[in-house]
Parts: sequence; C-alpha cells; structure tokens
Amino acid sequence: MISFQPTEDQKLMVESVAQFARTALRPKIRDFERARELPESVRRTAHELGLALVALPESVSGAGLGLTTAVLLEEEIAWGDPAAPFALGGPGAFGLAVVELGTEEQARSALAPFLGADAHSRFGAVAWGEKKPHPERAGFSTRATRHDDGWRLDGAKAYVLNADRAEHFVVFAQVEETPQDASAGWRGIGAFLVDRSAAGLTVTARATTLGLDAASFGGIELAGVVVPASARLAGGADFTAALVRFFTKNALLVAARGVGLSRAAFELTREYVDGRKAFGKPIGHFQAVAFTVADRAMDVDASRGLVWRAAAAWDALTKGEGSEKGALLLSAQAIAFTHEAAMRCGDDGVQLHGGAGFMRDYPVEKLMRDAKQLGLCGMTAEQADQLAAAITLGVPLDPGLVLPTPESQNAFV
Amino acid sequence: MTIEFSFGKKHLEMREGIRGLAKNVIRPQALQWDRDGGIPEDFLRNMARLAASMGSTAMTSGLGDAADGARASGEGDGERKKKLGGNLFSVIAAEELSWGDPGLLLCLPGPGLGGPPVRASGTPEQRKRFFSIFEGLHDDGIPLRWGAYGLTEPAAGSDVAGIRTTCRKDGQHWVLNGRKCYITNGARASWTVIFATIDPSLGRAGHRAFVVEKGTPGFAVGRIEEKMGLRASETAELVLEDCRVPEENLLGGEAQYVSKEGFMTAMKTFDNTRPLVGAMALGIGSAAYEYTCDFVKKNYVLGRPIPRYAALTERLARIGRSLEAARTLTWRAAWMADERMPNAKEASMSKALAGQAAIRACIEAIEICGAEGSIAKDHQLLEKWFRDIKVYDIFEGTGQIQRIVISKRLISDLKSF
Repeated sequence: MISFQPTEDQKLMVESVAQFARTALRPKIRDFERARELPESVRRTAHELGLALVALPESVSGAGLGLTTAVLLEEEIAWGDPAAPFALGGPGAFGLAVVELGTEEQARSALAPFLGADAHSRFGAVAWGEKKPHPERAGFSTRATRHDDGWRLDGAKAYVLNADRAEHFVVFAQVEETPQDASAGWRGIGAFLVDRSAAGLTVTARATTLGLDAASFGGIELAGVVVPASARLAGGADFTAALVRFFTKNALLVAARGVGLSRAAFELTREYVDGRKAFGKPIGHFQAVAFTVADRAMDVDASRGLVWRAAAAWDALTKGEGSEKGALLLSAQAIAFTHEAAMRCGDDGVQLHGGAGFMRDYPVEKLMRDAKQLGLCGMTAEQADQLAAAITLGVPLDPGLVLPTPESQNAFV
Repeated sequence: MTIEFSFGKKHLEMREGIRGLAKNVIRPQALQWDRDGGIPEDFLRNMARLAASMGSTAMTSGLGDAADGARASGEGDGERKKKLGGNLFSVIAAEELSWGDPGLLLCLPGPGLGGPPVRASGTPEQRKRFFSIFEGLHDDGIPLRWGAYGLTEPAAGSDVAGIRTTCRKDGQHWVLNGRKCYITNGARASWTVIFATIDPSLGRAGHRAFVVEKGTPGFAVGRIEEKMGLRASETAELVLEDCRVPEENLLGGEAQYVSKEGFMTAMKTFDNTRPLVGAMALGIGSAAYEYTCDFVKKNYVLGRPIPRYAALTERLARIGRSLEAARTLTWRAAWMADERMPNAKEASMSKALAGQAAIRACIEAIEICGAEGSIAKDHQLLEKWFRDIKVYDIFEGTGQIQRIVISKRLISDLKSF
C-alpha cells in the first residue's frame, strides 16, 4: 500500500504539538535566541507532551511510536522554532546511540535517568567529532586503552550538541588494546558511556554559532577518565553497521526539523508577498516572485515526502519488511535533499522580504541562519550524498568515507 | 490509513513483469524504432494483447487506456480504476514502460489523450460511441485504432485560452476552421478531440470541444513533424477547412458550455495526465541514472581517495535523490486522485519536479560517461534518452505553466499575471 495519510492517533498528536509550537514557541523565538536556551516552563510542557522518547522502543521504556510518528512531531516543533528540538530536555542523539550500539540492558539503564519527573531538565549527548585529523593515521586521536577490567579514555571531543547541559555522554574513541590496533583506522573505533561526573572529564567553552542559538554547541576533554568494562557499547554483531544506523536515524530526525524550518520560512514568505505591494500590486502577483514561492512549496513537499518515506522504511524494517540498505539509502536522500531545500527556503525567504528580511524585526533572517546551522547537525548533505552513492555503487560503508570526520567535514552530533 | 510506501504482492509482480518486458523485449528495439520513426503494427498489437491478457490497464494505462477503455466503454471509470489499484498503479506502470521506451508508450493504440476529456465530459451516448471502436483491437483482423487530442495551435501553446480555431453552427452541423499542431497520433487517429471557439473575444467562455472523426469533409492531415526525440511517436499537424462536424459530436452537448465549462474540459484532462507524464519522465531519467551508475561501477576504481571520485559520487547522489523526490510527488498526486482529493496543485508539482529531475539526470549521464556516452548503439541509449527527455518539461504544460498553476493556488487573489 502507498498512503500519505497519517493515522488518527498521529493526527491528534500532531495537532497538540502544533498548538504547542504555535503558542509556546513561535511567539518567543527571539527570547529563546537572546537567552540562548529554552526556559524551564517550555521544556516542562514539551516533556508533558511526551516528545522526548517518541522514537525509542518500548523495550527500553521508550514510547515505541516509531520514526514515522517522530518525524511528524519533529517537523511541528521545528516549525515553531528550529532551535527548540535541539534545546528541549531528553536523551536526544544519546538515546538513539545507546539503542543502536548498546545491548538492551545497557540501553535500559542508560535511559533510566530520562524517565523521571525532572527529565525535562536532563540532557544526553554524543561526543563524536574532533577538531583535527590525527596527523599520522586514520581514525580519532582520542584513545581508549585498557585499565584494570575497564577502559581509560584520553583526548578531546568537539562539535558536541548540548555538551554543557548533558549529564550522560556516549564518547567515541580509538580502541587501542595493543599498539597494532592503531592501524585499524576508522574500523578500530569504540563507543563508551561516560557520566559528566567522571573524574578527568571537563566541559569546554560553549561556542557562539551562526544560528540555532538556543541550542548549545561545545565539547569535552577527557584526561584519564576511567570507565568500567560494562560502559563499552559493542554495537551487536557489526559495530560499523550499528554506527551507520545510529548516524542515519539521528540525521533523519534532524532532516524532519529541516522540513519544519522550510515550511516556516515558506509560509512567512508567502504571507509577506501577499501583503507587500510594489508597482501597484502585491509582489506575489509578479511571476518572478510567484514562481520562487512555487519552487519553495515544491521543496517543502518533496523534502517532507522523502523524510516520510525514509521513516516509514525504518518502521517497516521492524516488521521484517524491506531492507536496511533501502532504509539507509532513502534516509541519505532525504537528509541531503532536506538540508539543501531548507537553505533555499531560508535564503529565498530573506530575498523576497527584501531589505526588511535582513532586519531582525522579521523572523526570516533567523531561519536563514538556522538553516545553515541545521545543515551541519547530524550529517551534512555532502556526507549524506557520499552515503547514498556508496550504497548505490556497492562500496563498503567505511565510517571514514560516509560519516562526518575531521578529515572530511565535521558535523555537530 | 497510515503513512506507508510498500507495494503489495500483485503490484510488485506486475511491476517486475513490465520491467522484464521493457528490458528484454522493448529496449533492444528502441533505437531502431527511433530511426524508423515508428513501431511495427504487429508489435503494437502484441502489446495490446498482452495488456488484455494481464486483465488490467497496466500496460496501457500510462496513456492509452486502450483495451480497458474499450471494455468499459468509458463507463464507471472511477470505480474501475480504484478497484484495479487506480491512478497510483498507472503512474508506476507508466514509469516502468517508459523506462523501456517512452516512444512506445505514446504509440500504443487506444483513445490516448483523447480519452480523458471524452470520459469526463462526454454524454453516455458519446462515451459509448467513441470508445466502442477500440473494442477487441488486440484481435487479428481488427485494425489498430487511436484517439487524439487537438488543443495546441501555431499561435496558441501555453496560452490555451488564446486558440483561434473557430466554430459556427450551421443547421445540424458545426463548421470548423483552423489549424492544430503537435498532435500525438494525429494522422492515424480515428477521432480527435478538437478545441475551437465561437468567438475569440469571449476567451474561455467561447470554447467548444468536438470529437472530429477521420474522414470528416474538410478535415485533413498537414505535415508530420521531425522531432529532436520521441521519434518513434507520430506528431502531426491537423487542418480544418470548412470542416462540417455533426452537432452530436459536440462534446457533452450544448448544455455543457455555460460559462467556463469548455475550458475546464481542456484542463480536466491535465489533472489526470500530469502525474503520468511526470512518471514517464522519471522512467527515462531513472534509465539514464541506472546506466550511469553501472558505467561508473565498471569503469572506476571506487573507494580510492581521488577527488574526482568524490565529485562524481556527489553528482550521482544528487541525481538519485532528485529523481526519488519527484517520484514521491508523482505517487502523492496519484494517491490523491485515487482518494478523490482535488490535486491540481500537486499534479503540477509532480510534473514540474519530475521533468526537471529527469532532464538533469540525462544531461549529467552524458557528462559522466563522457565521449562514450554520446555514441548511439544498441544497448547504449543515453543519447536517445537525452533527446527524448527534453519535451517532458514542455508538453502537457511547460515547467513555467506548472508554476503558474501552483502559484495561483498559493498566492491570494492571483487570477492571472
């Protein structure tokens, strides 16, 4: 069956989240931007709507509603403020990482802190990126070496979303049990659960960024941080495959936020060209303007369609339908298309507002900055394209080739 | 209802069946048909027969609706389509068949583009009369027949309201004068839906649609066009000189033509056919894209860190996702039609995006495959697809016309530019 019709339950959820976005987010976006965070009251309301755990399976105490429902809701929140989904409390990317890379037991215990009444003020984070490539070999500079029964982590991680807010991290490092392991490159990386309270962990300064100001971008340093053996997330039978799944699903949720951003920019621009008059008529009545609006409408609809198809492919997979490669390919296509479409919608939004668009009186300039920033979260369009091409051409999915790395192009995770 | 994008077993089998036929039977002959400027009638009859044996519109629903239009005599179209998988299945079948050869799709016998207006606006008597001639056309001994659609004129293309072909009532007849051009299957058609005006100054309100039958006095074929691509498909000029059309051939009867109804007859056709044309474009674009991916796999040592390869893979990925995005929109427009939702905007979106994506795919294909890609030979059809695809952003409404349709539905009080 092919159908573009959400279920009745989904429609109800979308409507309540849309109302939240309309009333609690959109009117306040400049306040959030100045404060560089979402106030507690807003985070609490979002938590009461159950937004944080939608995509996580019931086996680990998630809502088990699947990615299709998740992308519908992510679009609505981001429509209100594209920074909001990055700044609301909850496990975020951390949750997806522990589900994909950990055992069920590990995931359940890692997610337990996010089930309490104060969960709207609890954050998780994934420490993946690094500032520079290793000078001599492929892979990360951050290393995990044996320490008694557990592991010792040393290095510096960068481009970490919510680094300063998170209490729980998944840290990626090069696993070096023996000196020879260093030559394993990107295939030699491992993932570890680390709490912020761990001795030797420091959070580095929060960055000032182009856009998504209410979200927080930073890094952490690890100097002899010791974690038990049980903190290592083994990734099941195939760590690389699990890693690519995590990145792709996470970036797909970001893409859904990109759809919300595109739609917001498109709608504001459509309203503006209806009202703004030049040469005696609304500027929307000139073809150069109207066709641009039409093109952006196609961008919004096409990116939403691709995001839906990708999310539905992952949900079908849980029922034994379709293939993981198919879901990865559709996701990569959705991610790349959506990032570029969001940038076009933001750019044309400002352009059609003219000089007014450049002023902070109107929200479109924020959306344009947010679009570029959002395109650097999860996975960039360029990386998604490399992933899609690797699948299409049958090239092995080497993390160094298809994921954000210091050698290619870093991304905020 | 839920959001899902999976095909049932029946659809998958049908799709694979068409793909196999396209690959093994249609493609090997496509270049020859292109050079000959036509497809042998035997082959077309076999295709019609195959369509009938598949018991559905699958093969021909792309444009022809041949076997089927005949069987149902144009009656109960909606229910039939829904039962058989509907518009959605038509776009999927059209893409596959077009992947084999787009020219063949346009050559298939049946009412063609003339079908939708007769079905939508014809009286029961007209529907029966004009569709019944297609009955049994897959049998030996029955001549193949086509219908056609005559709207475009030398001086009125996108500006449909500006047609100059005139009609005036004279007794029991209408007398038509004018010229129609770029008519698919125009020379071979048993009848053509011709749009004319009682008074050009009335604009759309003056429009009338007639089913003009071959052999009607004053109705003649002008030149057969030489085209850039789709050369297997016949494109003709039609000339009407004091052509006397019986009044019972006025589509829908006089009552139909209050206010803008005549123009709406012309436009209704497009809401149905635009997603199909988009799907056909995607068939060609996907063919070129897949060929290019295979070429790259065979000719490059992939995974080596040579900058050119990253640039190449990025280009391939861009083509792939543009095609996939457009495909999603053709499915949506067709799904909306099946669900009885108004879909004029979405139909235009699907065609606008699909035409662009497919043209891009064909251009990039030649660029990536380089000199070899431009050489015409059997099993290497890139140069043919490059020629074939361009018109998909032109016929059934240019990309610009699609944007007019879309923006009128987005921008307040926008009646015209």
